[in-house]
Amino acid sequence: MLNELKETIRYRELLVNLVVRDIKVRYKNSVMGFFWSLLNPLLQVAVITFAFKGIMRYNVPNYSAYLLCAFLPWTFFQMSVLDASSAVIYHANLVKKTYFPREILPISIVISNLIHFILALLVFFVYLLVLGTPILATWVLLPVVVCIQFLLNMGVAFFVASLNVFYEDIKYMATVLLNLLLFTLPIFYLIETVKGSSIPAAYRPLVLKLFYWNPLAYLITTYRKILLPPFNVAATSTAPAIHDIPLSYAYLGLAALTSLIIFIAGYAFFNSRKWKFAERL
Amino acid sequence: MQKDFKSDYAVSVHDLCKSFILSHGRPGTLKGLFMLLNKSGSEKVEALRNVRFNVAKGETLAITGKNGSGKSTLLGVLARVYKPTSGSISINGRLSTLLDLGAGFHPDLTGVENIYLNGAILGLSRRELKRCLDDIVDFAELHQFIDAPIRTYSNGMMMRLGFSIAIQTDPDIMLVDEVLAVGDEAFQQKCYAKVKEIQQKGKTIIFVSHDLEAVRRVATRAIWMEHGRIRMDGDVGNVLDAYISAYGSPGELSNAG
Repeated sequence: MLNELKETIRYRELLVNLVVRDIKVRYKNSVMGFFWSLLNPLLQVAVITFAFKGIMRYNVPNYSAYLLCAFLPWTFFQMSVLDASSAVIYHANLVKKTYFPREILPISIVISNLIHFILALLVFFVYLLVLGTPILATWVLLPVVVCIQFLLNMGVAFFVASLNVFYEDIKYMATVLLNLLLFTLPIFYLIETVKGSSIPAAYRPLVLKLFYWNPLAYLITTYRKILLPPFNVAATSTAPAIHDIPLSYAYLGLAALTSLIIFIAGYAFFNSRKWKFAERL
Repeated sequence: MQKDFKSDYAVSVHDLCKSFILSHGRPGTLKGLFMLLNKSGSEKVEALRNVRFNVAKGETLAITGKNGSGKSTLLGVLARVYKPTSGSISINGRLSTLLDLGAGFHPDLTGVENIYLNGAILGLSRRELKRCLDDIVDFAELHQFIDAPIRTYSNGMMMRLGFSIAIQTDPDIMLVDEVLAVGDEAFQQKCYAKVKEIQQKGKTIIFVSHDLEAVRRVATRAIWMEHGRIRMDGDVGNVLDAYISAYGSPGELSNAG
């Protein structure tokens, strides 16, 4: 595996070129290229905020910020996985004709999505300034959390990128699974709301544990915990009270460990398959 | 010992075998996988069997043969696209593959941007590319179009650009699949002149072609592949004469190819 890593580093120019190409192509065709790609999550968040605040009466202050804070990393994950699933097939011409470390294809996909995510985070901070939420010391943890998520995205991307060469329906399966994940992860809701939910009390600790053990769920929650202030909302006639659950560094460490394992497993899996790609495409 | 070898050969192929598992059904989906679990529908195809040859530095070797004779597989293994099933290959020097029609071009990027991208695929650094950028553009005769997106190019322009990048990259060993000259008559002459120049520099060229005219014109040596084995290896004139007497005239061949 060390040799493979060395070879990839030797081809870093190609990696840089592919990332630059992705970014250029994404933002090139319109002056407002970046704006357009941000518009989608912003509009979704606006609609969801309206639904939760206006119709379901969630009384968390600046709820839209909590939504966006989870939705942006979710988009980072989703796009990394979806783009990676077609990464090798899209470059079939190259894979069949030339040698280069194949892992460069999914890596370039996740890196260009990472750059897009960072740009989106910058806009998010502008939004926080507009809302006037406090500046927190925990903001310095953001790069660490982004790095952990990068490992997780990369690991899953390696799996789907290599599997999709052999079974083309992996891409469609990934789309379906991602749609299910979107609602089973604490993105539109907070982990705190499990307590006051209609889930039977006996199952609530289990649901919470699933959020704690799932690295993606806990990473998304961590973004909220480190970027936005805690809150406590008293019960009203329409909604139960919400009590803040502080960030647990133990669970964050668990998420980091799981992400690392998924990354290494994905990388090993990809490497074990990559010399069969040209024969299959 | 290793050193002596290095000075002699550009490419050395030892007892190379390559087999593919061909499946009759299409296991391209998970459903296909389940249907193929009984394994009745797959078959092993031996594309290369004990292929063995050396290519001296500065030699221009043509590989010919009918479709399915294994010549493209051989080129694929040399280009490190396929891993050999058994046997080995030693390569001395930098090897680059001439991509047909600019396989790595992106339509929305400009000519210059595509030169950098394609060059990187061929393993060149940005600095090296910067140095030969003008030569590439000159050779392709695309001065006024080089900052326009590739999608505005004609097919001929794209071929010229792809060819110019590959030929200007100055590798020690060049692998070429089918195309040695592209474009109109005048540009083809330029291509042949460039190939000659590369040969005179002492570079090694290995190419696969159906175009017997091109083979005779450029190659010094030819290998005739049949059923994954080398049927004949030697001087280009002798091999081509034997090839033609076995399979018919060149005209019929190019129709078959």
